[in-house]
Amino acid sequence: MAQNRTAKLLQRPLSASAAVEVALLSNRGLQAAYNRLGVEDALRARESLPPNPTIAFSRVAGSLSSEIEAAVAADILALATLPARTEIADERFEAAKLEAAEATMRTGAEARRAWIRAVGAREKIRALEQAAKAAESAAKFADELGQTGAMNKLDQSRNQVFYAEVTTQLAGARQQALAERERLIRALGLWGSSLSFTLPDALPAPPAQPRELPAIEHEAVDRRLDLQVARKRLSVLAKSLGLTQSTRFVDLFELAARGKITRENVNGERVNFNDPGVGAVIEIPIFDLGETRLREAEQRWLESLNLLAEKAVNVRSQAREAYRNYRAAHEIARHQTREILPLYETITRESLRRYNAMLVDVFALIDSARRRMVATAAAIDAKRDFWLADVELQTAVIGGGRDPADKTASAAPASEAGGDQP
Amino acid sequence: MISRRAFVKSAVAMAASAVSGRAGAAAVPEAPRMTSVVTQPPLAPSSGPDYRPVVTLNGWSLPFRMNNGWKEFHLVAEPVTRELAPGMKANLWGYNGTSPGPTIETVQGDKVRIYVTNKLPEHTAVHWHGVLLPAGMDGVGGVTQPHIPPGKTFVYEFETRESGSFMYHPHSDEMVQMAMGMMGMFVVHPRDPDFMRVDRDFVFMMSAYRIDPGASLPHVSEMTDFNLWTWNSRVFPGIDPMPVRRGDRVRLRMANLTMTNHPIHMHGHHFEVTGTDGGWVKESARWPESTSDVPVGVIRAIEFQADNPGDWPIHCHKSHHTMNAMGHGVRNFLGVKPKPALAKAVAKLAPGYMPMGSTGMAEMAEMAMPGPANTLPMMAGQGQFGPAEMGGMFSIIKIRENMSANDYRDPGGYDHPAGTVAHEVEDASAGKTSSEPASGAIEGAPPHGHEHHH
Repeated sequence: MAQNRTAKLLQRPLSASAAVEVALLSNRGLQAAYNRLGVEDALRARESLPPNPTIAFSRVAGSLSSEIEAAVAADILALATLPARTEIADERFEAAKLEAAEATMRTGAEARRAWIRAVGAREKIRALEQAAKAAESAAKFADELGQTGAMNKLDQSRNQVFYAEVTTQLAGARQQALAERERLIRALGLWGSSLSFTLPDALPAPPAQPRELPAIEHEAVDRRLDLQVARKRLSVLAKSLGLTQSTRFVDLFELAARGKITRENVNGERVNFNDPGVGAVIEIPIFDLGETRLREAEQRWLESLNLLAEKAVNVRSQAREAYRNYRAAHEIARHQTREILPLYETITRESLRRYNAMLVDVFALIDSARRRMVATAAAIDAKRDFWLADVELQTAVIGGGRDPADKTASAAPASEAGGDQP
Repeated sequence: MISRRAFVKSAVAMAASAVSGRAGAAAVPEAPRMTSVVTQPPLAPSSGPDYRPVVTLNGWSLPFRMNNGWKEFHLVAEPVTRELAPGMKANLWGYNGTSPGPTIETVQGDKVRIYVTNKLPEHTAVHWHGVLLPAGMDGVGGVTQPHIPPGKTFVYEFETRESGSFMYHPHSDEMVQMAMGMMGMFVVHPRDPDFMRVDRDFVFMMSAYRIDPGASLPHVSEMTDFNLWTWNSRVFPGIDPMPVRRGDRVRLRMANLTMTNHPIHMHGHHFEVTGTDGGWVKESARWPESTSDVPVGVIRAIEFQADNPGDWPIHCHKSHHTMNAMGHGVRNFLGVKPKPALAKAVAKLAPGYMPMGSTGMAEMAEMAMPGPANTLPMMAGQGQFGPAEMGGMFSIIKIRENMSANDYRDPGGYDHPAGTVAHEVEDASAGKTSSEPASGAIEGAPPHGHEHHH
């Protein structure tokens, strides 16, 4: 069934979401995680698991919609949140679930990134081919003028070497595109006859309006997979410590907003947040620690609670950072396509008019056309970076880990990378 | 060393002075304006001493009024829009609506009063180039008078002493104001109408501009690389022809306020230089010419007997000065064989591209491909036998029989008598050359002697 589905998806030019679906079905590393869970693949996982009762995040404007990998991961985690399962889960089964959910998110994000890079590299080749064509035309004209006696060896050589250099750049871009495609193939987990799949010629244009996410910190704290996992472990710990009488609940966002968590202020007054559109909250039970007879249990509980709060603080920071990067990338990409490229079109048109009036010769005309193609390639890079930032926004809010190739994201402690082993 | 204060006081007392107050304003004559770019008919005097008026090429003469024995004119210095030729307008500075300003015509011995109103954004002053007058009326801002501030009206008063061909132009931020087109002719007719009498008397000023293709405002700091060489701020095909009746004695007064010399060549006749901006040339001192070099800041008045009917070009002999805006860096594509694949490749990069120049540049005059906005083709114009392929400083003197004395209408193309036009040879064998012309490129490096021992 999974193979049929994969084959069907690979028949048409692969879209980003189709790439994720293929990865969920075919990626071997992910299969291993599913096998440990006792299901064969993501589809089975979705079918065999009940719908998740708690991750019905309110559908409000300015919220990130769940992508397929997030839905699958949530379903897998839901096994632990079924009302029927009040007992402490078998530890191995629990670990397998977390691993599978995390691997699902990570695989989905990586498939998305690889798809964006592969398509962007493909699109860029076409622009650079045009630039090379321009340099080639200039070189040919230089050759002609050399034969008529209108151009000396020096200027001929300058034109030839320029063409040769542009050709080298083009070869590098082609090599890059092949490498990106291979990386995508690895992310998808494909081999053999499946490798003949095709990709679209170009990345979609960035949306006219970027996402407005005023409550992104709330959303990240409520939805991040690693925080959900940490909270689960906290409740498992509570049970194992014999903490059963919860006096009330505090939401995790509020917990992260507090100062040092000690026995006293955990029981402090609850703060109300008036952020509109924030529907779901992750609630942390607050126990009457008076019931524990063991000092050690109290300390362990507070330790875990502090670690969870620390994680939440870091998640908030990562969400802010990812959103800022996303907005900046959107602005840059739109600026390139809406301001810079139209100006280059005008420059080419005006250059042609000057050529027509014999104010400049064909070399100047070719040069302005070539510059436009180089600018087009730069705009394609900016568009690619926007979509990559879009993926990072998803992973910062929902999980799946950071882009290992991303140099711009500030380093966070490894233990805080979203989607790390909880 | 005279104190500055005393200097200013005396300057106001003895030099061109500001007109102020109600009485002053009421006394100022009106300032006629002109927006047409075609040659206006000669303006015969309705009062004052008689003279044969001049014809300003693509321009006009400034009307005056007599007031208690004074000949009064009113110049207004102001920004103007000037069509250099159909298809191009330039934002210039000028006088009374035009650049150059109107020709001022006076008579030897006239008491002249010229009001100058400044409607420019900066101060100005008017220098009467070549005219002999009191120092304080010479119009040199700061030196002989205070500069005329924006919005103010000054008055110049002097008596003309010598007849001749002169000009007026700013002597106040002079480089900018002349580069913007501020200038005009100042003609002093002889008291005796029979002295130096001619039948037709054409005047024009030469000015040069650098206006980037697609733009409309001159570069005022340009010194050498001008791209529009004008006669009265017009370029061919925007320059009117000069119609002449056969047998007329014709004078052309040519003033040069560009930054280089112009060897003006006239076809079909020989002429003599009869005057400069220093007065008339004695007959014994003249010599025949068919080209007269007009240096910078100089007027050459030439005269000839129009006895050869036909259409006779007159133009600057510097070939770039009979072109409009052109690219000096354009490579020579002569002899480049058409390569359809290459042309297609470039057209893909720059939609609309067509290969040009492999046989020369004449094809451009015929192709009429769209150029930059507000930019004239390098060469244009149409004659009765085909494209004239000219621009810049080029006009045609049209000499015809049976024209009336004051008719300045364009008579159209010359009707050549049968058998007097160069034509194709019917019998092709008559034109055969004994050997084929040499072809092929010259080898770049001749062989060194030591490689070839003979």
